[in-house]
Amino acid sequence: MSEEVILKMEGITKLFPGVRALDKVSLELRKGEVHAVIGENGAGKSTLMKVLLGIYHADEGSITYKGKKVQFSSPLNALSAGIAMIHQEISLVPTMDVAENIWLGREKLTMKNGMINRENRFKMTAEIFKKLNIDLDPRAMVRDLSVANMQMVELARAASYNADIIIMDEPTSALANEEIQTLYRIVHDLQAAGKSIIFISHKLEEIFDICDRVSIYRDGHYVDTRNCNELTQEELVTMIVGREITQQFPKQESKIGDVVLEVKNFNSLGVFQDINFTVRKGEILGISGLVGAGRTEIMRALFGADPRDTGEVYLDGKEIRIHNVQDALNAGISMLTEDRMRSGSIYTMSVKGNTTIASFRNFCSKGLGVINSKKENEAFEKSRHTLEVKCASENQLIKDLSGGNQQKVLIGRWLMTNPRVLIVDEPTRGIDVGSKSEIHRLISQLACQGMAVIMISSEMAEIMGMSDRILVVRHGKIVYECDRKDATQETLITHAFGAQKTKKDA
Amino acid sequence: MVTRNKRKNFFDAPFGKFLMNNKAFAILIVMALIVASMSDVFLTPSNLLNLIRQVAYSVTLAAGYTLLLSSGNIDLSIGCMVGLVGVAMGKMLVSGVPIPLAIFAAIIFGALLGTLNALVVNLFGLPPFIVTLASMSVFKGVTYIWTKMVPISNLPKAFTAIGQEYTFGIPNQVYIMFIMVIIMGFILYKTKFGRYALAMGGNREATRLAGINVDRMNVAVYATMGVYVAIAAMMLTARSASAQVSAGQNTEMDAIAAVVVGGTPMSGGSANIVGTVFGCLIVGVINNGLNLMGVDANWQLVAKGIMILFAIMLDVISSKIANNMSKKRMANG
Repeated sequence: MSEEVILKMEGITKLFPGVRALDKVSLELRKGEVHAVIGENGAGKSTLMKVLLGIYHADEGSITYKGKKVQFSSPLNALSAGIAMIHQEISLVPTMDVAENIWLGREKLTMKNGMINRENRFKMTAEIFKKLNIDLDPRAMVRDLSVANMQMVELARAASYNADIIIMDEPTSALANEEIQTLYRIVHDLQAAGKSIIFISHKLEEIFDICDRVSIYRDGHYVDTRNCNELTQEELVTMIVGREITQQFPKQESKIGDVVLEVKNFNSLGVFQDINFTVRKGEILGISGLVGAGRTEIMRALFGADPRDTGEVYLDGKEIRIHNVQDALNAGISMLTEDRMRSGSIYTMSVKGNTTIASFRNFCSKGLGVINSKKENEAFEKSRHTLEVKCASENQLIKDLSGGNQQKVLIGRWLMTNPRVLIVDEPTRGIDVGSKSEIHRLISQLACQGMAVIMISSEMAEIMGMSDRILVVRHGKIVYECDRKDATQETLITHAFGAQKTKKDA
Repeated sequence: MVTRNKRKNFFDAPFGKFLMNNKAFAILIVMALIVASMSDVFLTPSNLLNLIRQVAYSVTLAAGYTLLLSSGNIDLSIGCMVGLVGVAMGKMLVSGVPIPLAIFAAIIFGALLGTLNALVVNLFGLPPFIVTLASMSVFKGVTYIWTKMVPISNLPKAFTAIGQEYTFGIPNQVYIMFIMVIIMGFILYKTKFGRYALAMGGNREATRLAGINVDRMNVAVYATMGVYVAIAAMMLTARSASAQVSAGQNTEMDAIAAVVVGGTPMSGGSANIVGTVFGCLIVGVINNGLNLMGVDANWQLVAKGIMILFAIMLDVISSKIANNMSKKRMANG
């Protein structure tokens, strides 16, 4: 890493009517460094990036890029100057192949004799992949790729612009550990080639893993820029939040009781095999493993959301039949699903409607099903109060809430069904640090109150910090089980990857 | 700043809010004023009564469609379903089936046709657009075959009275229309069924995962649409005193236009039943005005299309402005 500064944003102020979204904010990026930009949701990170890319114009301040004062007029303009951004949401065309996606809008470059030439396009794409050490077929359809591989395509596309600065917005939020390692490797390769990377992330350990320096922002203000190796996690968290968070995972010890739920012999051809496990009262059972290992699928089958071939479920020792979600809810099993946007929030509905929907029949008369608004409002107010949901009114649309608040609304939805077993799938994905620890505290409290909690998570720290017992799933099978006290990051990862464990300290 | 504050107060006031939520009402007033300024006859009581009598049928149909569209579905077959149910009703009446029984049977028939649409959609996982496009053709063909293209007339006087007579100086159809609209409003905003339908329109997968049987909801929604079709078919048949073989054709498009102009999004998830009524009235005022001005029928089609487009554009633009203003207000507050 050189000391040469490639980009300098100084004194950037952006006013929206009535708010200072950014107040004299700076960012300095050196050539060949990986620079983390961090802050809670609403701290101004995305506004700052939008100013850089020319989506917004700063009211004050200057941007110096490669020694010249610049003011980009649009992201396309910034891109042609060498600044590419990879957004958190995948922005590929699923029905096109990988090569087509990479050259989308630049087909001219791959043409031969003025005609679209598929073979040449494949060849040029393969070259880019080779340079980046990406193992992907340029002919594969994007819709058949895993999310991780889609992200690789996005990365390759950004690199193919020969960008000098690549901005990555939470690139690992949908990736499992193995894939994150691949991403890290590519980032290092890019870095070695003299590219500068701006890395936006909520995951602290990532920043220490991969970034050279970190700039911290809070409430539209610039806090500081530090070298990562001169900083501890606690210091970083304090700077982000502006207050001391004593414990990142505020797990309370809960009294673990009898077995509540027992799953026996769950099978679904090609998805998962021979799944047997139990959960106890007051226990948090962590489910670890790689994305795509079948963790979500097992739990969805238990929740009745997907069919299964065989398998019995016992609640308090009695067999229960689960053929659909309604059966599961009646039995007292609820599930906070993984994809908040696709299978959780109902965006056209109010916060209240989203909270009450799963237990709505309790607020309606028998027969005609006439709504008892008073009952519904009371139930909502109670949920809003216990979960500390921040919303303007009960009628505010859920889509206008922050990710953390949306997640709280959805947790409220499932708590309203009075579950005995609560399954949470990636409960804190894409949520800022503050809301994250609130949700952790909540889950822990629920366990203390005697609920059996099953938590799927791809975040190692979350699994290790929250679970009383951990199962590792690989290729649709439970391959490892251990108690909290015996869990080490190493063993979990080893089993998740299926590598042979060398028993050196046995 | 002064103007912004003024506006802010305006849109916070109950009437301003009502206008923002029911832009179709504002558009209706504008349209009515334009027509009134061009024709002396327009504002006479007899013409207005005539106008509302004309829209009663489309309001009833569109009320049913409001539920269907807001549940994230579409049904292209309802126009031809009106014809088929109307013919069935006519056949029964002519062969001496008592009027209440014929109406009841027609309602069941409509519900069954709707159910049929939903079942095909559910069982084969096909898009409703395609399924109802096919059933539209089937319904039309069956109607033609069954009637041999001959309309059914000589309907009992007591039946045609539903569409032609007045009670307390107001057309009977208008009462039916109001009852059907109020029932739909009740369903949409006051019942579990309505809430589930809106949830399904907003996010089908999330609704399913909330323990709601979306397949059964689909059947219920399409069957309800069928009931509304049957009532509308009754109104149309009674008004024209005969069951025409091509009755109702293309009215599904008018219904969609009215519902969307009224503020229910095509993508589903929310519903504005009052807006639907205004939407139908807009189309009615346009038709009535063009008639009064003696515009050629073919030109009326062109004009109607442009007006509908204009109304939706107005809606989209004003929503954008309102959205920006509310963002600014949030920023200020």
